[in-house]
Amino acid sequence: MKTKYVLTFPNEAVEEPITYRLVKDFDLRLNILRAQIDEKGGKMVLELDGPAEMIKKGIQLLKSKKVEVRSIEEGVRKDEDKCTQCGVCVSICPVAALVLDKKSLKIVFDEEKCVVCGLCIDACPATAMELLL
Amino acid sequence: MAEEKQLRTYAEINKKIESKTASVMTAEEFKAKVAGEGLAKAAKDVDVVTTGTFGAMCSSGVLLNFGHSDPPIKMQKVWLDDIPSYAGLAAVDAYIGATELDESLNMFHGGAHVIEDLVRGKAVKLRAVAYGTDCYPKRDIESWISLKTVNQAVLFNPRNCYQNYAVATNGSNRMLYTYMGKLLPDYGNATFCSAGEISPLLNDPYFRTVGIGTRIFLGGAQGYVAWEGTQFNGKTPRSPNGTPRRSAGTLAVIGDLKKMSAEYIRALTMFKYGTSLSVGIGMPIPVLDLEMAKFCSVRDADIYTGVFDYSEQKRSRTVLREVNYAELKSGQIEIKGKKVPTSSLSSLYKARQISNELKRWISRGQFLIQEPVQRFDLDREFKPLDVRTKEGACK
Repeated sequence: MKTKYVLTFPNEAVEEPITYRLVKDFDLRLNILRAQIDEKGGKMVLELDGPAEMIKKGIQLLKSKKVEVRSIEEGVRKDEDKCTQCGVCVSICPVAALVLDKKSLKIVFDEEKCVVCGLCIDACPATAMELLL
Repeated sequence: MAEEKQLRTYAEINKKIESKTASVMTAEEFKAKVAGEGLAKAAKDVDVVTTGTFGAMCSSGVLLNFGHSDPPIKMQKVWLDDIPSYAGLAAVDAYIGATELDESLNMFHGGAHVIEDLVRGKAVKLRAVAYGTDCYPKRDIESWISLKTVNQAVLFNPRNCYQNYAVATNGSNRMLYTYMGKLLPDYGNATFCSAGEISPLLNDPYFRTVGIGTRIFLGGAQGYVAWEGTQFNGKTPRSPNGTPRRSAGTLAVIGDLKKMSAEYIRALTMFKYGTSLSVGIGMPIPVLDLEMAKFCSVRDADIYTGVFDYSEQKRSRTVLREVNYAELKSGQIEIKGKKVPTSSLSSLYKARQISNELKRWISRGQFLIQEPVQRFDLDREFKPLDVRTKEGACK
């Protein structure tokens, strides 16, 4: 099971190596998609991979450390009404989450692959890509 | 070009269109037919081939006539939703350009966005100032306009529909924001903007059937080719199949904005560059003879263009390599030994949609093929702007 979360760190949680504990204690595979944290706290977009039970425990740990946890169904949204199917985003996306479907010639967005890096947001001339964090 | 045995005339084609018996194919369908059944058979069977393109066309704008106020005003400066519009024309005419920005340089709302709002039927705020004359005493006005209130709203684009264009990449170590989109450092990506084999002017490389007066699909309505486009360059080096290997011909196009649709007229923001307008253009190509059929059978693999490093801030950049559109559309090209992902700036999906729509119009007898009133001069020199003396300018 793979799920993405937005974590908001208060300043008191910054000192602790919490992500290390997620790996060590619960054997979770984690992927930090975005992080903006300094001594005052900050935000992180984290993907957790592991058994549902372990993910649940990991989240409990985060919450016990006063880290605010919000699961995200989607980090980036493609507005189909605005999109002109041009494909500027295709070569910008580092993980091929945006691809040209050779048959329909439409630009297909694969939510699963998206790492919420945000590179496509300002690259889209039709302003069809929105960052939802 | 050799003399060709004529297969059909414009008059014959139009007669068939009027009786709804014309055989019309999109460029994609026609090329497949040539591949399957051969050129001679395709040329014999098909009367008209439809093409399309939908991309950023910066040299675009709309000419508006607001009607006269009471008392009348000779508008000297005009703003539409805060976007300055050129008003140095009589009293109540103004031209709003797609790339015009407001004083704050907000690139998310420029002239192109006002044009899209108009097309969507929205009201736009008009503000004008004047110095006042005996015949036009009013000195300022604020009002609202829409396509319903203005007398004319004419989309008149001095340079659209480039016949081929450069591929942009970035060899520097910083991100570039260009009219060719966001270019990642160290040859991180490459962008191209021609639709290749389905693009109008690559199917008639020598402008045999496209000239002044040609009726076209423009922004979802019927429009016309008004003139050669600015920066028209007919002397670009060509491949044996006639297609130019760099940016070449262009078109000035004109049409009634009131009849257009936001499906085919879209405002664009090129981040940190400015605004532009995506314009949908479709062109019918009459298969007059075997030569026209051959032109329309050209494939992506046989259309070439140059790749340029846009970090080179010069008028004439050095070409890194030549590529064909089959390579570009494959999603990856090689530049200096590196595999570089490619992006199309123009919508291939919309280009196909336009060629299909135009095919429908012709098949239903709603769109006739107009022979050019005058063809373009392909031999004219394409000139640069140099810093000259007053005397040097007239030499």
